[in-house]
Amino acid sequence: MALASIDIGLLFEVVWASALAGAVVSVLFALVVLFGARSAETRRAGHGTVSMAYGVAAVISFAAFMGLVVYAVHLMLSKG
Amino acid sequence: MDNDLVLWIVVATALAFDFTNGFHDTANAVATSISTRAMAPRVAVTLAAILNFVGAFLSLQVAATIASGIVEADMITLAIVFAGLIGAIFWNLLTWYFGLPSSSSHALIGGVVGAAFAAEGPDAVIRDGLIEKVAIPAVMAPILAFIVAGTGILVTYRIVGRLRPSTVSRSYRLGQIISGSLFSLSHGTNDAQKTMGIIFLALVANGNLTTSDDIPTWVVVSAATAIALGTYVGGWRIIKTMGSRIIKMDPAQGFSAQGSGAAVILAASHAGFPLSTTHVISGGIMGAGAAKRVSAVRWGVAGNIVVAWVLTLPAAALVGALTYLVVHLFGDGAAGPVVVSAVLLIALGVAMARRVFQGQTLTAEG
Repeated sequence: MALASIDIGLLFEVVWASALAGAVVSVLFALVVLFGARSAETRRAGHGTVSMAYGVAAVISFAAFMGLVVYAVHLMLSKG
Repeated sequence: MDNDLVLWIVVATALAFDFTNGFHDTANAVATSISTRAMAPRVAVTLAAILNFVGAFLSLQVAATIASGIVEADMITLAIVFAGLIGAIFWNLLTWYFGLPSSSSHALIGGVVGAAFAAEGPDAVIRDGLIEKVAIPAVMAPILAFIVAGTGILVTYRIVGRLRPSTVSRSYRLGQIISGSLFSLSHGTNDAQKTMGIIFLALVANGNLTTSDDIPTWVVVSAATAIALGTYVGGWRIIKTMGSRIIKMDPAQGFSAQGSGAAVILAASHAGFPLSTTHVISGGIMGAGAAKRVSAVRWGVAGNIVVAWVLTLPAAALVGALTYLVVHLFGDGAAGPVVVSAVLLIALGVAMARRVFQGQTLTAEG
């Protein structure tokens, strides 16, 4: 009787939403680190244009990561 | 007069629980940051305390009932709430002493369930609610966090694996400051509300407020202060367990455990399925360690933690039930709560005095 009350659909939603959110967080921050490091390396090697491209990619990745953080705070504050 | 005395004892006990909740759960937000040296220990707990304090003010969506859907709400009395709080405080202190992370929410639910069972019998407990709101989340949270953090660290190593280790470590230490701050803020918006809910209910039950009233400012301030002070004091034994005894983690693993953990908690909460922060971060740490190397996880320590989780509800329930029976021996007045509180305060004072005389710090920092 107790097991019948479990909402399998809800559990499935929790699993995929958590997995997706976790993967996006990991990938975005890893990209920030990767592009930031590549930007510094290419700048030291004297490749200004490539360095700037990596820098822009790092900034975009970081903005997306911080966007997730802001959305997380929004979720915290709007929970019912 | 008698009722007012019981009310203030319940308020003080609720704030004491809030304090233990703070220092018990400090580890969730700061253990990984401290062990990877993303932050100095005192800086980490200070930041966590401030964010817990702020978080308590940001979300005033106070639960109007405790153990909602698990215990029949109309059967809850001030004596049951008092006994339930004592059960939860007992379990928080015991698990802190042994350095074991466990859920303060489950301890509170256990305490109230035990006290309600002792007061009203089995009809007071909603078994389906216990399975749906305690058992399933308790099983699901660590497993889900284990898989998500494990996958996260594998993806991370795949992307940054060829970079210089010093660059990677420095970057992830910065990331940990953000993920740790999110955890602390989330804790403040969640856990201080439990105490506010308990005090609000007590005030309603005593006739000081009605359910439609706003929560008084002093309740918000006192609950926020208690959880922030508890966080600042820091449960160093649990911090040590989570930070270095489960796995020896690098900054990327620390970030993965925290970042994935925060993602799991918020995604689940958004779907209407709140999970224990403690279960999630513990599972995340184990997952981040096992993904690198299964033998990197000290499974003996992990096993002790799981045993503590399994025992949380029955142990807190047992103490809650015993406390209720003792309180009930003295009748329905204030005598029971006064005697129990006095005995516990004396015992706590003796324990603290012994530690001070032995030259130990009260919370065993470092």
